Amino acid sequence: MREWLAHRVPLDEVEAAIQHKRVPRHRYSVWYYLGGMTLFFFIVQVVTGILLLLYYRPSAEEAYDSVQFIMTRVPFGWLVRSIHSWSANLMVGAAFVHLFSVLFLKAYRRPREITWISGVLLLFVILAFGFTGYLLPWNEVAFFATRVGTDMAGAVPVVGETTVRFLRGGAEVTGATLTRFYGVHVAVLPAITTVLLGLHLLLVQYHGMSVPPSIEARAKTDGRPVPTMPFVPHFALRDLFGWTVALAMLAGLSAYLPWELGHKADPFAPAPAGIHPEWYFLWTFQALKYVPGQVLGLEGELVAIIVMSLGAGALVFLPFIDRNTPRSRAVITWAAAAALVFMVVMTALAFTGDPS
Amino acid sequence: MKRGALIVPGLLVLGVLAASIAVRAHARQPDSPAQPPAVPAPPARSTPDQAAAAFKDDVHAKAGLGCESCHGQKTSGGSYAPVARTAIAPMCATCHADASVMRKFAPQVRIDQYAQYQTSVHGRQMAKGDTRVATCSDCHHSHGIVQVRDTRSPVAPAHVAGTCAACHTDAARMSPFNRSPDVFSDWSKSVHADALLKRGDRSAPTCNTCHGSHGATPPGIDAVANVCAQCHVREAELFKASKKAAVFAEMGQSDCLTCHSNHHIVAPDQTWISLEGEAICATCHDETTPGALVIRSVRKGFDDLQQRMRDAEGVLSRAETAGMLIEDGKLAMHDATEAHVRMRVLVHAFASPPFDEVLEEGLAAADKSRAVGDDAMDELQYRRRGLAVATLLILGFLATLFVKIRQLPPS
Amino acid sequence: MPSAQPSAPTPAPAVGRRRVLNWLLGTWSAGVFGSIAFPVLRYLVPPVIPEAPTLSVTAGAASTLAPNNARIVPFGSTPAIVVRTPTGELRAFEGTCTHLACTVQYRPDLEHIWCACHNGHYDLNGKNIAGPPPRPLTAYDANVQGDEIVISRRA
Repeated sequence: MREWLAHRVPLDEVEAAIQHKRVPRHRYSVWYYLGGMTLFFFIVQVVTGILLLLYYRPSAEEAYDSVQFIMTRVPFGWLVRSIHSWSANLMVGAAFVHLFSVLFLKAYRRPREITWISGVLLLFVILAFGFTGYLLPWNEVAFFATRVGTDMAGAVPVVGETTVRFLRGGAEVTGATLTRFYGVHVAVLPAITTVLLGLHLLLVQYHGMSVPPSIEARAKTDGRPVPTMPFVPHFALRDLFGWTVALAMLAGLSAYLPWELGHKADPFAPAPAGIHPEWYFLWTFQALKYVPGQVLGLEGELVAIIVMSLGAGALVFLPFIDRNTPRSRAVITWAAAAALVFMVVMTALAFTGDPS
Repeated sequence: MKRGALIVPGLLVLGVLAASIAVRAHARQPDSPAQPPAVPAPPARSTPDQAAAAFKDDVHAKAGLGCESCHGQKTSGGSYAPVARTAIAPMCATCHADASVMRKFAPQVRIDQYAQYQTSVHGRQMAKGDTRVATCSDCHHSHGIVQVRDTRSPVAPAHVAGTCAACHTDAARMSPFNRSPDVFSDWSKSVHADALLKRGDRSAPTCNTCHGSHGATPPGIDAVANVCAQCHVREAELFKASKKAAVFAEMGQSDCLTCHSNHHIVAPDQTWISLEGEAICATCHDETTPGALVIRSVRKGFDDLQQRMRDAEGVLSRAETAGMLIEDGKLAMHDATEAHVRMRVLVHAFASPPFDEVLEEGLAAADKSRAVGDDAMDELQYRRRGLAVATLLILGFLATLFVKIRQLPPS
Repeated sequence: MPSAQPSAPTPAPAVGRRRVLNWLLGTWSAGVFGSIAFPVLRYLVPPVIPEAPTLSVTAGAASTLAPNNARIVPFGSTPAIVVRTPTGELRAFEGTCTHLACTVQYRPDLEHIWCACHNGHYDLNGKNIAGPPPRPLTAYDANVQGDEIVISRRA
């Protein structure tokens, strides 16, 4: 059977490549697991997402009731839905940790620039997954969070209004928005992810794991190459260990902290107090509050969007900004640390501040 | 996403459940006497200027009438003579009791007001020349008369009681006629006043609903039940068919009044049904009287249902706070509340059979609601047990994997 | 992650140990796989009531609802009343009185809908015609599929 397959698909070559793959072993090796962890959560999302697809109805009239149906009447529906919601959040968390670990360990250096760029784009895709998916239960919180979130795009001059209309499928958040977000969430973004993720993973296999500069320098001075371990079985089994722990966490969270459903969205009701986006957007949400109404003659929101766009651009093109000198790398490290502190502080402020 | 965040929706559900039970059980005790909205009282004698200003809004002005229509020609002094009190009603009747006149302006308006007035205590006294009683202008006012459905009218449903109260709370006015001045304050504390003035339910009874507007007379002890029966149809039917009807007729006791009062009608409570203490039934019944068993059984029925509904509610809210959704339980609670309302109505049969049937339904619904809550809690436990099993399997796997990793040959 | 211990040379006990370990691993992973597969498979089987009963519900057999008759059915979390008029037409309305939310009923003697709580009357178009109710009853669509009455509300 295996012989039959090996003649038709490059089974032997793939197996040989996997057997040959080795992973560097050093002080920072533990961070290598984070990419795979993000991938694990993504796989969980795909599986639970497909299961949810079987019962979910993407119209404003039926969405909420269909989610309630899943949570109450479908056997283990509560589990599938709670896992999907928790895994989404854990995936975003893992992606950010993975991003920062790559940032601090300088894994974006030549020849891994394209790996980095595809990774950053994948992060944006993950955030888009989160934003579009959040609306789908069509509950109060989601409805108003989406309205506030899409409002922001209106601050961009010239194309702002069109952008908002494009995002919402109309001038306001309606059933049209729901359908559009649904299409993006289950078709458009998965298609983009397939391409980007495929590229990202292929490149990681092709280039192997990057070794941080300090470890490389040490190896050079010691005259010994960086020790490695075989991918199969050493690294793979440890990876599996981590994935299984993550699975147990997901199950535990779903049983003890089930994801709530809230109230059905009523577009004509006033927004409840304390509307806020999901935690991974909270830092931007909070930072926006500190931007004055007018900055240098421009609208505050617009300035914020410009700053954020510049930041995003810097992130994407980071490998070309970093000159790969010790000084340049140190600057990047400090900048990354500052950004991390900023995000953490903003998030903490958002949680502890008063709702107004 | 936090479990604590489920407390708010849980409390909201509890609040809605509690509110809907309160509405159903009509358990609305007014906390303070309802005050009718202020209606400006007409001055005792209007000056010509005041009268002319008020008359602008008058329906009669819109119909083309003027001062002369009621006052006649000006006197030699250049002013209009006021209409004598005893002459007011007959004067109004010249148009308002004449179909051929009213047809020209408002064909559907009744024309029997004067005839009714003449049968009333007010009308009969006025005919004798007693000007202390009410006539048309006391209630409708004289110069700014608007239609009854106009919210400015002193006889709009929300204002009627206040208009009557202008005289009927004055002890000095009432004592010559041996009338109680407490009627308005009694009514103000009732559920009917609450419904009319706090909830804005215009169908709620006020003075004229039971006493009549123009033929205002108390219904009479033997007739008051017919008046209540206008809205409380089922209660009246049941009472008439019950043993009590004959007993009360023999005793000369009024049907509804005896237990419910006529003006100070408050939300009935199951504590009324008892053979002890201040309970309403206990005013006549004790252990030795026939009906004692029924009284005890009915009271027990209410207490049982209330207890079971409370228990069910408790479990449901705990389940909801824990993140379980309990729609079927709410539906069953709805049915139990319905049964409770019907039981209160069936009290008026004063017999066990019809009451007990509905009691069974109510208890079954409360039990079903409780069962849904219990199932939800069981499901929660089942989920956690299932999780424990899965976690055990995963831990076993992890432990074995750990050992496997440790015994791998060096890399 | 802890580094691997140096392995013993491969005499029989070590091989046996390894085999036992692999067997254990296989068994546990089968258990983990089962604890994933079981909920997923159960999930894939649709529940007995396939649809959330909030936009439409079945209301019993059409053949057993005679003219000048009605039945009350649950619709979502509130009752609905399905009426067969004296002329044979099928109509459906919300079943809660618009006055104080008691459940209404059909009166064959009056040939219209009535609320026992405070003597409210509604005609067969749902319009409030007498008594305290301030508003008409909301009408639902009533259709027959096979012999089953299906009532539905517009979202």
